[in-house]
Formats: sequence, structure tokens, C-alpha cells
Amino acid sequence: MFFYYIDLAWRSFKRTPFVSMLMVLAIAVGIGITMTSLSVYYMMAMNPIPDKSDRLHVVQLNTMDEGQSQGSSDNLPQQLTYRDAMALYQQDFPENKVIHMRSGFAVHLGDSSIKPFLEATRMAGRDFFSMFNLEFQYGGAWSVEQEQNAAQVAVISQSLNEKLFGSENSLGKTFYLDDKVFQVVGVLDEWNLHTRFYDITTGAFSRTENIFIPFSLVPVLEVPSWGNTNGWKYQEINNYQDRLNAEIFWVQLWVELPNEQAKAQYGQFLQAYLSEQEALGRFERETPQYALRNVMEWLDYSNVVSDDNRVLVGLSFMFLIVCLANILGLLLGKFLKRAPEIGVRRALGARKRQVFAQHIVEVSLLGLFGGLLGIGIAQLGLWGVRATENYYSALATMDLSMLLAAPSISIIACIIAGLYPAWLVCKTAPAIYLKTQ
Amino acid sequence: MFECKPIFNSLLRSKAGAMMLLVQIAITVAIVSNASFIIYDRVQYLKQETGYPEESIFSFSITSFVEDFDQLQQIEIDESVLRGIPGVINAVNLSEIPLSGSGSASSIHTAPPPDTGRGVRAAYVLGDENSVDTLGVKIIAGRNFNQEDVVIQRSPDQVATVAIASKSFVEEMFPDGDGLGNTVFMGPYPVQIIGVVEKMMGPWLKDRKADNFIIFPMVVESTFQKMLVRTEPSERASVMKQVEALMLENNGDRVVSNVIGMDDDKALYNAGDMLMLRMLLVLIVVLVLITALGIYGLTMFNISKRTKQIGTRRALGARKSAIVRYFLIENSMVCSAGLLIGIVGAIYLGDALLKAYSLPALDIMYVVVTAIVVFCISVLSVIIPANRAANISPSIATRSV
Repeated sequence: MFFYYIDLAWRSFKRTPFVSMLMVLAIAVGIGITMTSLSVYYMMAMNPIPDKSDRLHVVQLNTMDEGQSQGSSDNLPQQLTYRDAMALYQQDFPENKVIHMRSGFAVHLGDSSIKPFLEATRMAGRDFFSMFNLEFQYGGAWSVEQEQNAAQVAVISQSLNEKLFGSENSLGKTFYLDDKVFQVVGVLDEWNLHTRFYDITTGAFSRTENIFIPFSLVPVLEVPSWGNTNGWKYQEINNYQDRLNAEIFWVQLWVELPNEQAKAQYGQFLQAYLSEQEALGRFERETPQYALRNVMEWLDYSNVVSDDNRVLVGLSFMFLIVCLANILGLLLGKFLKRAPEIGVRRALGARKRQVFAQHIVEVSLLGLFGGLLGIGIAQLGLWGVRATENYYSALATMDLSMLLAAPSISIIACIIAGLYPAWLVCKTAPAIYLKTQ
Repeated sequence: MFECKPIFNSLLRSKAGAMMLLVQIAITVAIVSNASFIIYDRVQYLKQETGYPEESIFSFSITSFVEDFDQLQQIEIDESVLRGIPGVINAVNLSEIPLSGSGSASSIHTAPPPDTGRGVRAAYVLGDENSVDTLGVKIIAGRNFNQEDVVIQRSPDQVATVAIASKSFVEEMFPDGDGLGNTVFMGPYPVQIIGVVEKMMGPWLKDRKADNFIIFPMVVESTFQKMLVRTEPSERASVMKQVEALMLENNGDRVVSNVIGMDDDKALYNAGDMLMLRMLLVLIVVLVLITALGIYGLTMFNISKRTKQIGTRRALGARKSAIVRYFLIENSMVCSAGLLIGIVGAIYLGDALLKAYSLPALDIMYVVVTAIVVFCISVLSVIIPANRAANISPSIATRSV
């Protein structure tokens, strides 16, 4: 019966091609516009590390005087001072933690084989790779000894390996960061991270770095920060050592806390640490303030999804409603015009339910066509987004779930729009129409 | 006289279709008026005067990866090489590039610490006596830097003692209008304001104090340098192509990066706003189109449903204009009701957007203009089918009965 209904629907489509095309077009445009903004929103709001997002926490400490603010919703600074980050990193608990900051160097091979180029570099603890699920193509993270000794070793990305060493196994090979020689100890597999959750301060949707070197090199090489540095009081900073000791925020610390108990325990530890630091006279606060946010809480706190995007999603859903109202109006006309035909069918014994089902199948077919065409329009829209905003290029795409969502939303929307007209038409009393014909 | 009553009564007999039209028009008005207001707001933001001749300025970065050379001397050499390129008006080493989204800001105070007095936040750059000329900004009071003002920093305690600031900063710092010649404090260091620039925007256009900008006459040693170059507008592209080779020619142990025109740099910073603007524009155009098509389609259907009725009316002596008028009035009635609801909806939506997001308050003019435009479009989309209806032959009425 279902295929018969589809056949009927197709005939009906052909009988009123103009209005049918108009309806398909309306739903397609509605779906296209909605899916364009929804796709970007969905990619922005997506969990970047689903298997660990509950366990990974970013550490925030308020080491400022009471009343000082960094402009965040709870007045906490987004980053830590070097001394706090180091002090916490050197604790035994919790087991997995990573300290990091963004910097950058001129990369070259020490000869004229390639033109030197600038490359952002992440200074990180060795747990960075295991904690954030990075896979290695060759080698692995640097060893604990190498980290302690501030060895000049590096993990590089697949693309940099291709650029420097032609994609071969480059373990043990050397290259230059500025005028320092670094040895490759690991080459990463491709790392597609759509939201760079681990460092939002330098752009949540920027590309991940191509070079990773031990954080312990920061004081040795006097590495400049390529990220934000925020202060809250005037301090004389005349050399790098001053910078390391200063009350300025430029380092980030992530910890892996496997359960609520560990989180509570670590919270208590942070509380005690803050009280201890306050006793040293670094800052004056009534109550110590810290925060441990997991990945999704951190993205939310950092307003990763822009207001503009939310407004767009809202407006496009309203737009979809307009398209539906449009279709509903047209369907009413189309179905009711067919009432005489339905009258005959009803008189010949078709049940109301069957007539209803037939019309619902017909609108679903419209929804399907509209949805498919809508995917095309959405792709066009996303292409436009990528062309306007390079920063969104990784975000302005539709993944499989969004591709499936488009026709689903479209069919459901059409069925909702079709319910009333279908109900109206199946109520048709056969007698009247039989009489007039 | 316009047969309003019978039209209204016949509308009541097919409520659902009219309701849908009404809903469409109402939501269209709500969306279009808010979206066009957001667009207007963004266009104003994007088109604002920055104070710089953006089309004739470009900037680039130089990163040295060897430290064993006199960096301050290198800056002098680079500047003179740049000035030697045909088409270049001036070039300067600046610590930050205006409008680029990257810079430094600080609170400037009326007194030194510990009793700092009143503080005003301002972005600042360090550059030599060529800064003002290269940036192409206009000094409206006081004087430009001269060579003696410029501090070549060889140790951290050597700092500038004078500054040139934007008018908006000076007015905020000294509301009484005695800013020129007065002294402000950057930490413990006193700085005298010797010049006021009419307008120059800082690095962040979205900053609450985007207009507050200060230039300190200083050159600081660093392996990372930024250069700003002003050229003849027509020469900029060709000069930009040459700089990398020229810079590496006189010192090869460095990387030249981010060679970008000031207007492009600004566009990059504002890419998100441009995107919002374009998406809203597409939304509005398509929405109006869909609504117009919807009205058109619905009227077509009404006509085909009422073919006999129209034929009968024509047979009974109704003029063609009466038929057209019928559909126009019918549409206007539905449309006006939709517009009224839409206007209220638009104001509520604008209010909700204002509360939930950082969007400005909706200007009522936008709602009114949108309503008028939507009304005109609805009339236009009725006229074609209505004319067709008017051409229905009266004989139709007598045929199939």
C-alpha cells in the first residue's frame, strides 16, 4: 500500500507541478538556511573529546586582590601565573596533568634547503599527548628525564614532517627552532581537532600547533608567549626571571580527575594551596577562590559559541516556520481542491485512515525532495561561510549526522505542516461531491 | 464601498489558508526588521572612520632567529631601505599594528603609585619620530615628536617622557580640556602629552575604548619587530611584493611574515561581523522571496478554486477591475492583520535579543519601513494572479453546471 501511495503522491506532484515545485523549493530553502547556521553551531558546540571530556579539568586560581577582575563571568583569570602552574605541576597528585603555553619560532634546517618560516609551537608537559588523545605515526612523547633536563627535543606534526623531511621516518633527525638545534622524538598522526579546547585564549577554532617541545625549556630559552599575558597590578619586569616570578597570567594547567572524589580531594588541595599563598602576602582575599571546569563547562564558560551564531540559528528556525506556514497554506489549497476525488474514493470504501495516510505519504515525499535539495543549498551556504571567514573553514562543514538530520527535519516539518490539511481532506463527506458530479 | 464585509465573511469560511498567510507575514516582519537593523548596526561598525588612510598602509613582521647583531641598528637600516623603495612615503618600526587585533593596553593614571589617582584605559604603541607621519594621522593640537624625544631603549629604565595621544583619550583623561601639556603616569613614570591626534583607533575595534590610543616615542630591542609602511595608494601592491626579498637581502637570518594591507588586516579582524552581515542579508532576501511566492501561490489556488464563482460574477456584470479589487482587498485585510501582529512580534523579538545578547536596541523605524515594504511586496504578488482571475471568461460559469 505504501508504494501505491507513493505512486499516487508522484501523480499528484505531476498534476500540479508549479505548486509542488513551489512547496519543494520553500522547504528546501528553509532547510538549507537552517542547516547552514545549525551546522556551524553544531560544530562549534560539539564535544571535542567525548571519551574524556568529563575527566579533563582546567585549573583556575584567583591570586588577585579582592575586587580585581579579569573580565570573566566569575572574575577568575583564565590562565595561571608561571609560579602557581609550576608548583601545581610538580605535585604528585593527580597523576595526569599537563602544563602548557603557546609560543613560536623560526623553523629551518640550518642550511639553505628550505626558506625559514615561522611556526607556532606549544610548550607542553609530556602528558599532553596521552591526555588529549594524540596518536603517533613514529616515536612518542619525550621521556621524563628529557623533560627534567630540558632537552632540546620535539614532537612534530605529520604536515611539518612532510615539509621538513619529506614524510619519511624522521626520528632522530634534527632541525632548528631559531638558532637552537632540536631532535625529533615523535611524529604525530593527523590530528583533527575542530575546537582547540585546550587553549581557548588564543582562538578556539585556530589550527593546532605543528611543533611541541618540553615546557621545561621555557626558563632555559626564555621563551616569549604567543598567547595572552594579563596582569592586575604594576610590577617592574626587567628580565625574564622577573617575568617568571611576576603576578601575570600566561600559563595553563589541565588535570585529569577520574571521579568526583578525586575532584573534591583536588579542590581541597587547591584551597589549602591558595591559603598558603595568601599567607605569603601575595594577595589579599577574604575567601580563596578556585575553579575546576571540565571540557564542556570550560567551552561554555569561555563563550566558544558566539552570540551571533545563536541569533542566526534562532532566526533561521523562525525562517523555517515561515516556510512551513507557506507550505501549509499551499497544501490546504491543493488538498481541498482534490476533495471531489477523495469523495469518490471514500464512497468506494476507502477508510478515513487510509486517505489520511495517503496524504501524509504525499507530504513526506515533498519533505524528502525538499530535504535533499536543502542539503545542496546548505552546502552552497557553507561554501559561502568558508569563503567569508577562513577561521571557520574547519567548522563550516556537514558531518554525517547533519547530512541525515537535513532530510529528517525536512520530512518531520512537512508532516507537521501536512497534518491539518490531510485531516481536513479525510473528513470529506462523500455525499456532497458525488452529487455535484 | 469596497465590499469589505462580504470579503471578510468569505475569508472566515476559509480561515486556515488566511491564517497561514497571516502567520507568514507576521514572522517575516519580525525577522526582517530585526535582521535589517542588525545589518545596519554592523555596516555602521564596519564603515566607521579609523583615522588612517587604510588603503595606502601595509604592515609586516620580522622575526630574527639569531641574536648576535645590533638589533637597534638593524631597525634603522630596515627603515631606510623601506623608505628607499619608489612609491613609499614613510616607514616606521612600531611595537604593535593598529586595527590588527593584537596590541597592548594599560591603565594610565593621573598620579604615580601607590596613590595612582584616576585611571583611564588606553592602548599604546612604541615607535620613533616617523610614527605619526607613517600612520597618516592628523595632529590637531601640540606638536609632533622630534629626534630628541625618541628614547632608544638599551636598558629597561630608559622610557619615554612625552607622548602623543588620541583626542578621545585626552578628553577622557582631562575632562576640563587642559590635556595638552599635562602629565600622566604609566606606572611610576611621568609622561607629558605633547600632541593630540584628531582620530586614531587602537588595535581592537571592538574594545570599549577603541578610540583611546597613545604613541610613545621609543624603540625597543626585540627579535620580533613589526614594520608599518605608507605608500602611494597605487604603489602599495607592488611595494608589498618587494619587501620580503629586500629585508632578507640585508640580513638573511630572519623571517618576514604577515605582509598585509591595513584594510585587509581590519577585514580579517572583522571577518565574523562580515559573515553575520552576509548571512542575514541572504536570510532577508530569501525570506521575502519565499513569502512573496507563498502569497502568489495561495492566491493562484484561491482563484482556481473560485473559477466558477468569478465567472458567475463576471456574467452578472462585474467589471474586471472589480475582480482584481476583490483579491487586492482580501490580501490587504489578511496582510494588515499579519503586519500588526508582526510589528508587535518584531518589538518583542528585538527586546529579547537585546536582553539575551549584546545587540543594540531595535529602532522602531526599521519595523515600520519593513512593514511597508512587506505590504508592497504582498500587493505585487497578488496583482499578477488577480489579473489572471479577471480574465476568466464569464462563459465558464454557465458551462459545467
